[in-house]
Amino acid sequence: MNLLETINLKKYFGETHAVDNVSLTIAEREFVSLVGPNGAGKTTLVNVVSALFRSDSGKILFKGDDITHTSVTERVKAGIARSFQIVNLFDDLTAFDNVTLAIFSRQGKTGNPATLAHLDHEVSAEADAVLAQFNLTSKRKEHARDLAQGERKLLDVALAYALKPKLLFLDEPTSGVSTRDKGQIMDTIASVVRGEGITAVIIEHDMDVVFKYSDRIVVMQQGAILAQGTPDAIRNNDQVAMILLGTSGPDAFTRKD
Amino acid sequence: MDILIIQILNSIFYACILFLIAAGLSLIYGVMRIINLAHGSLYALGAYVTAWAIGTFAAGAPLWVSFLLLPAGAVVVAAVGAAIEPTLLRPLYNRPEEYQLLITFALLLILEDAMHFLFGGTPLTAGAVIDSMGTMPIMNLRYPVYNLLVIAIGIAAAVFLWAFIYRTKFGVILRATSQNMRMASALGLNVKRVYVQAFALGCFMAGLGGAVVVPAQAAVLGMGIEALILAFVVVVIGGLGSLEGALIGALIVSFVRTAGIQFFPEIELAVLYLIAAVVLLVRPTGLSGRA
Repeated sequence: MNLLETINLKKYFGETHAVDNVSLTIAEREFVSLVGPNGAGKTTLVNVVSALFRSDSGKILFKGDDITHTSVTERVKAGIARSFQIVNLFDDLTAFDNVTLAIFSRQGKTGNPATLAHLDHEVSAEADAVLAQFNLTSKRKEHARDLAQGERKLLDVALAYALKPKLLFLDEPTSGVSTRDKGQIMDTIASVVRGEGITAVIIEHDMDVVFKYSDRIVVMQQGAILAQGTPDAIRNNDQVAMILLGTSGPDAFTRKD
Repeated sequence: MDILIIQILNSIFYACILFLIAAGLSLIYGVMRIINLAHGSLYALGAYVTAWAIGTFAAGAPLWVSFLLLPAGAVVVAAVGAAIEPTLLRPLYNRPEEYQLLITFALLLILEDAMHFLFGGTPLTAGAVIDSMGTMPIMNLRYPVYNLLVIAIGIAAAVFLWAFIYRTKFGVILRATSQNMRMASALGLNVKRVYVQAFALGCFMAGLGGAVVVPAQAAVLGMGIEALILAFVVVVIGGLGSLEGALIGALIVSFVRTAGIQFFPEIELAVLYLIAAVVLLVRPTGLSGRA
Protein backbone atom coordinates (compact mmCIF):
# COMPACT_ATOMS: atom_id res chain seq x y z
CA MET A 1 0.00 0.00 0.00
CA ASN A 2 1.18 3.51 -0.75
CA LEU A 3 1.96 5.53 2.34
CA LEU A 4 2.70 8.79 0.53
CA GLU A 5 1.65 9.95 -2.87
CA THR A 6 2.34 13.31 -4.49
CA ILE A 7 0.36 14.19 -7.60
CA ASN A 8 1.71 16.83 -9.99
CA LEU A 9 3.28 18.73 -7.10
CA LYS A 10 4.69 22.15 -7.98
CA LYS A 11 6.67 24.73 -6.04
CA TYR A 12 8.12 27.69 -7.92
CA PHE A 13 10.34 30.43 -6.55
CA GLY A 14 9.90 33.13 -9.16
CA GLU A 15 11.52 31.77 -12.30
CA THR A 16 13.01 28.77 -10.54
CA HIS A 17 10.96 25.60 -10.82
CA ALA A 18 12.21 24.05 -7.58
CA VAL A 19 9.64 21.25 -7.64
CA ASP A 20 8.19 20.79 -11.08
CA ASN A 21 5.25 18.46 -11.53
CA VAL A 22 6.52 15.73 -9.23
CA SER A 23 4.37 12.63 -8.94
CA LEU A 24 5.99 10.23 -6.54
CA THR A 25 4.73 7.31 -4.52
CA ILE A 26 6.39 5.84 -1.45
CA ALA A 27 5.29 2.43 -0.27
CA GLU A 28 4.97 1.46 3.37
CA ARG A 29 8.24 0.34 5.00
CA GLU A 30 10.25 1.39 2.00
CA PHE A 31 13.75 2.91 2.39
CA VAL A 32 14.03 5.46 -0.40
CA SER A 33 16.98 7.67 -1.26
CA LEU A 34 16.49 11.00 -2.97
CA VAL A 35 19.57 11.93 -4.99
CA GLY A 36 20.51 14.54 -7.54
CA PRO A 37 22.83 17.49 -8.02
CA ASN A 38 22.63 20.56 -5.77
CA GLY A 39 19.56 22.60 -6.61
CA ALA A 40 17.69 19.61 -8.00
CA GLY A 41 14.78 20.31 -5.64
CA LYS A 42 15.23 17.44 -3.18
CA THR A 43 15.07 19.54 -0.03
CA THR A 44 12.27 21.70 -1.43
CA LEU A 45 10.24 18.57 -2.14
CA VAL A 46 10.74 17.39 1.46
CA ASN A 47 9.89 20.89 2.74
CA VAL A 48 6.63 20.89 0.79
CA VAL A 49 5.67 17.41 1.98
CA SER A 50 6.47 18.29 5.61
CA ALA A 51 4.49 21.57 5.25
CA LEU A 52 7.38 23.98 5.80
CA PHE A 53 6.52 25.33 2.35
CA ARG A 54 3.12 25.48 0.71
CA SER A 55 2.88 23.91 -2.73
CA ASP A 56 1.76 26.09 -5.62
CA SER A 57 -0.35 23.32 -7.08
CA GLY A 58 -0.75 19.57 -6.96
CA LYS A 59 -1.83 17.21 -4.22
CA ILE A 60 -0.24 15.32 -1.36
CA LEU A 61 -1.92 12.14 -0.16
CA PHE A 62 -0.83 10.44 3.05
CA LYS A 63 -2.38 7.07 3.86
CA GLY A 64 -4.91 7.97 1.17
CA ASP A 65 -5.98 11.23 2.87
CA ASP A 66 -5.51 14.57 1.14
CA ILE A 67 -3.13 16.53 3.42
CA THR A 68 -2.18 19.24 0.91
CA HIS A 69 -3.56 22.06 3.01
CA THR A 70 -2.75 20.85 6.52
CA SER A 71 -0.23 22.53 8.90
CA VAL A 72 3.10 21.22 10.17
CA THR A 73 1.52 20.28 13.49
CA GLU A 74 -1.23 18.33 11.77
CA ARG A 75 1.25 16.47 9.59
CA VAL A 76 3.45 15.60 12.56
CA LYS A 77 0.35 14.29 14.26
CA ALA A 78 -0.55 12.27 11.16
CA GLY A 79 2.92 10.70 11.28
CA ILE A 80 5.32 12.70 9.12
CA ALA A 81 8.59 13.77 10.75
CA ARG A 82 11.88 15.08 9.43
CA SER A 83 15.41 16.01 10.31
CA PHE A 84 17.30 18.91 8.82
CA GLN A 85 20.35 19.22 6.61
CA ILE A 86 21.87 21.66 9.06
CA VAL A 87 21.50 20.07 12.47
CA ASN A 88 18.68 21.75 14.32
CA LEU A 89 18.80 21.08 18.02
CA PHE A 90 17.94 22.96 21.17
CA ASP A 91 21.54 23.73 22.05
CA ASP A 92 21.01 24.86 25.63
CA LEU A 93 19.00 21.79 26.55
CA THR A 94 20.50 18.40 27.43
CA ALA A 95 20.32 15.52 24.98
CA PHE A 96 17.71 14.01 27.29
CA ASP A 97 15.57 17.17 27.32
CA ASN A 98 15.81 17.43 23.54
CA VAL A 99 14.26 13.99 23.23
CA THR A 100 11.63 14.56 25.92
CA LEU A 101 10.56 17.63 24.00
CA ALA A 102 9.73 15.53 20.96
CA ILE A 103 7.75 13.19 23.21
CA PHE A 104 5.86 16.12 24.79
CA SER A 105 5.09 17.39 21.32
CA ARG A 106 3.70 14.03 20.32
CA GLN A 107 1.56 13.85 23.46
CA GLY A 108 0.11 17.27 22.65
CA LYS A 109 -2.68 18.37 24.94
CA THR A 110 -2.95 15.02 26.69
CA GLY A 111 0.04 15.85 28.87
CA ASN A 112 -0.42 18.21 31.80
CA PRO A 113 1.99 21.08 31.11
CA ALA A 114 2.58 21.84 34.80
CA THR A 115 3.87 18.33 35.47
CA LEU A 116 7.40 18.19 36.77
CA ALA A 117 9.26 16.97 33.72
CA HIS A 118 11.73 14.67 35.44
CA LEU A 119 8.98 13.10 37.53
CA ASP A 120 7.08 11.86 34.51
CA HIS A 121 8.48 8.33 34.58
CA GLU A 122 6.79 7.22 31.40
CA VAL A 123 8.36 10.04 29.41
CA SER A 124 11.76 9.63 31.10
CA ALA A 125 11.78 5.91 30.38
CA GLU A 126 10.85 6.45 26.77
CA ALA A 127 13.45 9.20 26.31
CA ASP A 128 16.12 6.93 27.78
CA ALA A 129 15.06 4.11 25.48
CA VAL A 130 15.32 6.39 22.44
CA LEU A 131 18.76 7.60 23.53
CA ALA A 132 19.85 3.98 23.92
CA GLN A 133 18.59 3.08 20.44
CA PHE A 134 20.77 5.82 19.01
CA ASN A 135 23.81 4.96 21.17
CA LEU A 136 23.57 8.25 23.04
CA THR A 137 22.96 6.97 26.56
CA SER A 138 26.31 8.23 27.83
CA LYS A 139 25.54 11.73 26.51
CA ARG A 140 22.20 11.96 28.30
CA LYS A 141 23.08 14.90 30.52
CA GLU A 142 25.28 16.81 28.10
CA HIS A 143 24.06 19.96 26.44
CA ALA A 144 23.40 19.50 22.76
CA ARG A 145 25.99 22.18 21.95
CA ASP A 146 28.75 20.09 23.56
CA LEU A 147 28.15 16.97 21.47
CA ALA A 148 30.39 15.92 18.59
CA GLN A 149 29.06 16.48 15.07
CA GLY A 150 28.23 12.80 14.55
CA GLU A 151 26.37 12.66 17.86
CA ARG A 152 24.46 15.82 16.98
CA LYS A 153 23.41 14.23 13.72
CA LEU A 154 22.17 11.15 15.55
CA LEU A 155 20.36 13.23 18.17
CA ASP A 156 18.66 15.16 15.39
CA VAL A 157 17.37 11.92 13.90
CA ALA A 158 16.45 10.67 17.38
CA LEU A 159 14.22 13.72 17.86
CA ALA A 160 12.36 13.06 14.64
CA TYR A 161 12.15 9.38 15.57
CA ALA A 162 10.74 10.16 19.03
CA LEU A 163 7.71 11.68 17.32
CA LYS A 164 6.89 8.05 16.36
CA PRO A 165 6.44 8.84 12.69
CA LYS A 166 5.22 6.48 10.01
CA LEU A 167 7.22 8.43 7.46
CA LEU A 168 10.63 9.84 8.33
CA PHE A 169 12.50 12.31 6.12
CA LEU A 170 16.23 12.62 6.76
CA ASP A 171 17.99 15.47 5.00
CA GLU A 172 21.64 14.49 4.60
CA PRO A 173 22.00 12.58 7.85
CA THR A 174 25.72 12.02 7.27
CA SER A 175 26.85 15.37 5.88
CA GLY A 176 29.79 16.95 7.64
CA VAL A 177 31.01 13.80 9.44
CA SER A 178 34.01 11.60 8.77
CA THR A 179 33.73 8.56 6.50
CA ARG A 180 34.17 6.24 9.47
CA ASP A 181 31.36 7.93 11.41
CA LYS A 182 29.15 7.86 8.33
CA GLY A 183 28.93 4.08 8.38
CA GLN A 184 28.17 4.06 12.10
CA ILE A 185 25.46 6.69 11.79
CA MET A 186 23.80 4.98 8.84
CA ASP A 187 23.97 1.55 10.51
CA THR A 188 22.29 2.99 13.59
CA ILE A 189 19.61 4.76 11.59
CA ALA A 190 18.96 1.77 9.33
CA SER A 191 18.65 -0.64 12.24
CA VAL A 192 16.15 1.61 14.04
CA VAL A 193 14.14 2.35 10.90
CA ARG A 194 14.03 -1.28 9.74
CA GLY A 195 13.46 -2.58 13.23
CA GLU A 196 10.46 -0.35 13.85
CA GLY A 197 9.01 -0.69 10.36
CA ILE A 198 9.29 3.01 9.61
CA THR A 199 9.18 4.28 6.07
CA ALA A 200 12.24 6.42 5.44
CA VAL A 201 13.19 8.89 2.74
CA ILE A 202 16.75 10.18 2.92
CA ILE A 203 18.44 12.89 0.91
CA GLU A 204 22.04 11.84 0.43
CA HIS A 205 25.00 12.73 -1.75
CA ASP A 206 27.30 9.85 -0.85
CA MET A 207 26.42 7.20 -3.44
CA ASP A 208 28.12 4.44 -1.43
CA VAL A 209 25.65 5.09 1.36
CA VAL A 210 22.76 5.34 -1.09
CA PHE A 211 23.52 2.05 -2.81
CA LYS A 212 24.13 0.20 0.43
CA TYR A 213 20.97 1.10 2.33
CA SER A 214 18.21 1.94 -0.18
CA ASP A 215 15.37 -0.21 -1.45
CA ARG A 216 14.76 2.31 -4.17
CA ILE A 217 16.56 5.36 -5.47
CA VAL A 218 14.82 8.42 -6.88
CA VAL A 219 16.98 10.73 -9.00
CA MET A 220 15.91 14.35 -9.31
CA GLN A 221 17.14 17.02 -11.66
CA GLN A 222 15.88 20.59 -12.09
CA GLY A 223 12.85 19.95 -9.94
CA ALA A 224 11.68 16.84 -11.77
CA ILE A 225 12.13 13.12 -11.32
CA LEU A 226 14.67 11.93 -13.85
CA ALA A 227 14.80 8.24 -13.00
CA GLN A 228 13.94 5.83 -10.24
CA GLY A 229 14.62 2.22 -9.53
CA THR A 230 16.52 -0.31 -7.46
CA PRO A 231 20.16 0.39 -6.61
CA ASP A 232 21.26 -2.01 -9.33
CA ALA A 233 19.10 -0.38 -11.98
CA ILE A 234 20.36 3.10 -11.03
CA ARG A 235 23.97 1.94 -10.89
CA ASN A 236 23.74 0.88 -14.52
CA ASN A 237 21.81 3.92 -15.72
CA ASP A 238 24.20 5.93 -17.90
CA GLN A 239 22.05 9.04 -17.90
CA VAL A 240 22.08 9.12 -14.10
CA ALA A 241 25.82 8.56 -13.95
CA MET A 242 26.30 11.43 -16.38
CA ILE A 243 24.27 13.79 -14.19
CA LEU A 244 25.63 12.78 -10.85
CA LEU A 245 29.25 12.17 -11.79
CA GLY A 246 29.74 13.87 -15.13
CA THR A 247 30.96 10.55 -16.51
CA SER A 248 29.29 7.34 -17.57
CA GLY A 249 30.09 3.82 -18.70
CA PRO A 250 30.38 0.57 -16.75
CA ASP A 251 31.41 0.92 -13.12
CA ALA A 252 31.14 4.70 -13.23
CA PHE A 253 29.91 4.70 -9.62
CA THR A 254 32.65 2.50 -8.28
CA ARG A 255 35.47 4.45 -9.90
CA LYS A 256 37.00 6.79 -7.39
CA ASP A 257 38.71 9.98 -8.31
CA MET B 1 22.10 50.12 63.14
CA ASP B 2 18.31 49.98 63.33
CA ILE B 3 18.06 52.33 60.39
CA LEU B 4 20.41 50.10 58.44
CA ILE B 5 18.22 47.04 58.97
CA ILE B 6 15.14 48.99 57.96
CA GLN B 7 16.92 50.24 54.85
CA ILE B 8 18.01 46.72 53.96
CA LEU B 9 14.43 45.50 54.37
CA ASN B 10 13.21 48.39 52.25
CA SER B 11 15.73 47.52 49.58
CA ILE B 12 14.64 43.89 49.53
CA PHE B 13 10.98 44.96 49.42
CA TYR B 14 11.71 47.18 46.48
CA ALA B 15 13.85 44.51 44.80
CA CYS B 16 10.92 42.08 44.97
CA ILE B 17 8.64 44.50 43.12
CA LEU B 18 11.33 45.28 40.56
CA PHE B 19 12.06 41.59 40.10
CA LEU B 20 8.40 40.84 39.37
CA ILE B 21 8.30 43.56 36.71
CA ALA B 22 11.71 42.84 35.17
CA ALA B 23 11.25 39.05 35.17
CA GLY B 24 8.08 39.48 33.12
CA LEU B 25 9.81 41.85 30.71
CA SER B 26 12.75 39.46 30.41
CA LEU B 27 10.57 36.39 29.95
CA ILE B 28 8.64 38.00 27.10
CA TYR B 29 11.85 39.12 25.44
CA GLY B 30 13.48 35.73 25.96
CA VAL B 31 10.68 33.82 24.28
CA MET B 32 9.36 36.24 21.67
CA ARG B 33 12.25 38.68 21.20
CA ILE B 34 9.84 41.54 21.80
CA ILE B 35 10.76 44.55 23.90
CA ASN B 36 7.44 45.37 25.45
CA LEU B 37 7.41 49.12 26.06
CA ALA B 38 3.90 48.81 27.51
CA HIS B 39 5.19 46.54 30.30
CA GLY B 40 5.38 49.34 32.88
CA SER B 41 1.85 50.41 32.06
CA LEU B 42 0.66 46.84 32.59
CA TYR B 43 2.29 47.01 36.03
CA ALA B 44 0.39 50.25 36.68
CA LEU B 45 -2.82 48.64 35.44
CA GLY B 46 -2.33 45.82 37.95
CA ALA B 47 -1.95 48.38 40.74
CA TYR B 48 -5.05 50.31 39.68
CA VAL B 49 -7.24 47.23 39.29
CA THR B 50 -6.27 45.85 42.71
CA ALA B 51 -6.68 49.23 44.41
CA TRP B 52 -10.05 49.69 42.74
CA ALA B 53 -11.22 46.15 43.60
CA ILE B 54 -10.19 46.47 47.24
CA GLY B 55 -11.62 50.00 47.50
CA THR B 56 -14.91 48.93 45.94
CA PHE B 57 -15.57 45.50 47.43
CA ALA B 58 -13.53 45.28 50.61
CA ALA B 59 -14.47 48.54 52.32
CA GLY B 60 -15.52 47.66 55.85
CA ALA B 61 -15.10 43.91 55.13
CA PRO B 62 -12.66 41.73 57.07
CA LEU B 63 -9.00 41.66 56.02
CA TRP B 64 -9.19 38.28 54.26
CA VAL B 65 -11.53 39.79 51.65
CA SER B 66 -8.78 42.24 50.72
CA PHE B 67 -6.31 39.39 50.42
CA LEU B 68 -8.70 37.54 48.17
CA LEU B 69 -8.93 40.61 45.95
CA LEU B 70 -5.19 41.34 45.96
CA PRO B 71 -4.36 39.09 42.93
CA ALA B 72 -7.20 40.68 40.89
CA GLY B 73 -4.77 43.09 39.23
CA ALA B 74 -2.44 40.27 38.17
CA VAL B 75 -5.28 38.18 36.75
CA VAL B 76 -6.80 41.08 34.81
CA VAL B 77 -3.42 42.07 33.38
CA ALA B 78 -2.71 38.46 32.34
CA ALA B 79 -6.07 38.41 30.54
CA VAL B 80 -5.25 41.69 28.82
CA GLY B 81 -1.92 40.17 27.76
CA ALA B 82 -3.62 37.05 26.41
CA ALA B 83 -5.82 39.34 24.31
CA ILE B 84 -2.99 41.61 23.11
CA GLU B 85 -0.56 38.96 21.88
CA PRO B 86 -2.69 37.23 19.21
CA THR B 87 -4.37 40.42 17.97
CA LEU B 88 -1.68 43.12 18.03
CA LEU B 89 1.70 41.41 18.23
CA ARG B 90 1.33 38.21 16.20
CA PRO B 91 0.90 40.00 12.86
CA LEU B 92 4.24 41.75 13.42
CA TYR B 93 6.61 38.86 14.16
CA ASN B 94 7.85 38.77 10.57
CA ARG B 95 8.38 42.53 10.42
CA PRO B 96 11.47 44.47 11.53
CA GLU B 97 11.80 45.25 15.24
CA GLU B 98 10.82 48.90 14.81
CA TYR B 99 7.23 47.84 14.19
CA GLN B 100 7.12 45.97 17.49
CA LEU B 101 8.61 48.94 19.32
CA LEU B 102 6.07 51.24 17.68
CA ILE B 103 3.08 49.08 18.51
CA THR B 104 4.11 48.48 22.13
CA PHE B 105 4.79 52.21 22.47
CA ALA B 106 1.32 52.92 21.07
CA LEU B 107 -0.03 50.44 23.57
CA LEU B 108 1.74 52.30 26.37
CA LEU B 109 0.06 55.57 25.34
CA ILE B 110 -3.35 53.91 25.00
CA LEU B 111 -3.06 52.18 28.38
CA GLU B 112 -1.99 55.38 30.14
CA ASP B 113 -5.00 57.25 28.72
CA ALA B 114 -7.34 54.35 29.39
CA MET B 115 -6.27 54.29 33.06
CA HIS B 116 -6.72 58.05 33.31
CA PHE B 117 -10.18 57.67 31.82
CA LEU B 118 -11.21 54.67 33.95
CA PHE B 119 -9.70 55.53 37.32
CA GLY B 120 -9.44 59.34 37.15
CA GLY B 121 -6.54 61.58 37.95
CA THR B 122 -6.46 61.16 41.71
CA PRO B 123 -4.26 58.47 43.28
CA LEU B 124 -5.99 55.24 44.24
CA THR B 125 -4.86 53.53 47.43
CA ALA B 126 -5.43 50.28 49.23
CA GLY B 127 -3.65 51.58 52.32
CA ALA B 128 -6.28 50.05 54.63
CA VAL B 129 -4.58 46.68 54.10
CA ILE B 130 -1.19 47.83 55.29
CA ASP B 131 -2.76 49.73 58.22
CA SER B 132 -4.84 46.84 59.44
CA MET B 133 -1.88 44.44 59.33
CA GLY B 134 0.01 46.70 61.69
CA THR B 135 3.72 46.82 62.37
CA MET B 136 6.25 44.65 64.10
CA PRO B 137 9.25 45.70 66.15
CA ILE B 138 12.67 45.61 64.52
CA MET B 139 15.14 46.50 67.31
CA ASN B 140 13.84 49.86 68.53
CA LEU B 141 11.89 50.72 65.39
CA ARG B 142 8.69 49.37 63.89
CA TYR B 143 8.27 47.90 60.39
CA PRO B 144 5.01 47.23 58.46
CA VAL B 145 4.14 43.52 58.51
CA TYR B 146 2.71 43.88 55.01
CA ASN B 147 6.13 44.73 53.58
CA LEU B 148 7.48 41.46 54.94
CA LEU B 149 4.58 39.68 53.26
CA VAL B 150 5.52 41.28 49.94
CA ILE B 151 9.09 40.08 50.40
CA ALA B 152 7.73 36.57 50.99
CA ILE B 153 5.55 36.84 47.87
CA GLY B 154 8.54 38.05 45.84
CA ILE B 155 10.72 35.16 46.99
CA ALA B 156 7.91 32.69 46.39
CA ALA B 157 7.34 34.11 42.90
CA ALA B 158 11.04 33.80 42.08
CA VAL B 159 11.16 30.18 43.26
CA PHE B 160 7.90 29.36 41.50
CA LEU B 161 9.00 30.95 38.24
CA TRP B 162 12.36 29.20 38.38
CA ALA B 163 10.72 25.81 39.02
CA PHE B 164 8.15 26.49 36.34
CA ILE B 165 10.77 27.30 33.71
CA TYR B 166 13.43 24.74 34.65
CA ARG B 167 11.45 21.84 36.03
CA THR B 168 8.10 21.51 34.27
CA LYS B 169 7.08 20.24 30.86
CA PHE B 170 5.82 23.68 29.98
CA GLY B 171 9.20 25.10 30.93
CA VAL B 172 11.07 22.69 28.66
CA ILE B 173 8.75 23.64 25.81
CA LEU B 174 9.13 27.33 26.62
CA ARG B 175 12.92 27.21 26.69
CA ALA B 176 13.01 25.16 23.50
CA THR B 177 10.75 27.64 21.70
CA SER B 178 12.86 30.56 22.85
CA GLN B 179 16.04 28.87 21.60
CA ASN B 180 14.85 27.64 18.24
CA MET B 181 11.36 28.62 17.21
CA ARG B 182 11.65 27.08 13.74
CA MET B 183 12.71 23.71 15.09
CA ALA B 184 10.03 23.78 17.77
CA SER B 185 7.40 24.30 15.13
CA ALA B 186 8.92 21.60 12.89
CA LEU B 187 8.64 19.21 15.84
CA GLY B 188 4.94 19.94 15.86
CA LEU B 189 4.89 22.03 19.03
CA ASN B 190 2.14 24.63 19.05
CA VAL B 191 4.33 27.75 18.98
CA LYS B 192 1.35 30.10 18.80
CA ARG B 193 -0.02 28.71 22.03
CA VAL B 194 3.38 28.93 23.73
CA TYR B 195 3.60 32.59 22.71
CA VAL B 196 0.20 33.46 24.14
CA GLN B 197 0.99 31.64 27.37
CA ALA B 198 4.44 33.20 27.73
CA PHE B 199 3.13 36.69 27.05
CA ALA B 200 0.25 36.24 29.48
CA LEU B 201 2.65 34.89 32.12
CA GLY B 202 4.98 37.86 31.63
CA CYS B 203 2.03 40.25 31.95
CA PHE B 204 0.85 38.37 35.03
CA MET B 205 4.21 39.03 36.67
CA ALA B 206 3.95 42.77 35.92
CA GLY B 207 0.37 42.85 37.17
CA LEU B 208 1.37 40.98 40.33
CA GLY B 209 4.08 43.57 40.97
CA GLY B 210 1.47 46.32 40.73
CA ALA B 211 -1.04 44.38 42.81
CA VAL B 212 1.31 43.81 45.75
CA VAL B 213 2.79 47.31 45.71
CA VAL B 214 -0.49 49.16 45.84
CA PRO B 215 -1.26 48.71 49.56
CA ALA B 216 2.15 50.27 50.27
CA GLN B 217 2.17 52.92 47.54
CA ALA B 218 -0.87 54.50 45.91
CA ALA B 219 -1.52 53.89 42.23
CA VAL B 220 -0.78 57.14 40.39
CA LEU B 221 -0.56 58.18 36.77
CA GLY B 222 2.99 57.94 35.53
CA MET B 223 4.00 55.09 37.86
CA GLY B 224 4.15 52.78 34.83
CA ILE B 225 6.69 54.89 32.96
CA GLU B 226 8.90 55.15 36.03
CA ALA B 227 8.70 51.39 36.53
CA LEU B 228 9.51 50.75 32.87
CA ILE B 229 12.67 52.85 33.06
CA LEU B 230 13.85 51.09 36.21
CA ALA B 231 12.97 47.69 34.76
CA PHE B 232 15.13 48.51 31.73
CA VAL B 233 18.02 49.43 34.02
CA VAL B 234 17.50 46.10 35.80
CA VAL B 235 17.57 44.01 32.60
CA VAL B 236 20.49 45.97 31.16
CA ILE B 237 22.50 45.24 34.29
CA GLY B 238 21.31 41.66 34.74
CA GLY B 239 20.98 40.61 31.11
CA LEU B 240 17.84 40.66 29.01
CA GLY B 241 16.14 37.29 28.70
CA SER B 242 17.67 35.85 31.86
CA LEU B 243 15.74 35.08 35.03
CA GLU B 244 18.82 35.12 37.24
CA GLY B 245 19.77 38.40 35.62
CA ALA B 246 16.43 39.94 36.56
CA LEU B 247 17.03 38.87 40.16
CA ILE B 248 20.60 40.18 40.35
CA GLY B 249 19.68 43.38 38.54
CA ALA B 250 16.67 44.01 40.78
CA LEU B 251 18.80 43.60 43.91
CA ILE B 252 21.55 45.90 42.64
CA VAL B 253 19.15 48.60 41.48
CA SER B 254 17.08 48.66 44.64
CA PHE B 255 20.05 48.63 47.03
CA VAL B 256 21.78 51.40 45.08
CA ARG B 257 18.57 53.35 44.92
CA THR B 258 17.85 53.04 48.64
CA ALA B 259 21.41 54.10 49.43
CA GLY B 260 21.09 56.88 46.90
CA ILE B 261 17.97 58.31 48.48
CA GLN B 262 19.74 58.23 51.85
CA PHE B 263 23.17 59.53 50.93
CA PHE B 264 23.17 61.18 47.49
CA PRO B 265 19.57 62.02 46.57
CA GLU B 266 20.52 64.57 43.89
CA ILE B 267 22.26 62.02 41.65
CA GLU B 268 20.43 58.85 42.68
CA LEU B 269 19.11 58.02 39.16
CA ALA B 270 22.33 59.17 37.52
CA VAL B 271 24.27 56.60 39.54
CA LEU B 272 21.94 53.85 38.31
CA TYR B 273 22.42 54.89 34.70
CA LEU B 274 26.15 55.02 35.30
CA ILE B 275 26.13 51.43 36.57
CA ALA B 276 24.06 50.38 33.55
CA ALA B 277 26.49 52.17 31.22
CA VAL B 278 29.50 50.49 32.81
CA VAL B 279 27.86 47.07 32.52
CA LEU B 280 27.09 47.78 28.86
CA LEU B 281 30.72 48.70 28.27
CA VAL B 282 32.24 45.76 30.14
CA ARG B 283 29.64 43.06 29.54
CA PRO B 284 27.21 44.16 26.83
CA THR B 285 24.99 41.13 27.40
CA GLY B 286 24.51 41.92 31.09
CA LEU B 287 25.93 40.24 34.16
CA SER B 288 24.28 36.87 33.53
CA GLY B 289 23.25 37.25 29.92
CA ARG B 290 24.63 35.17 27.09
CA ALA B 291 25.84 36.46 23.78
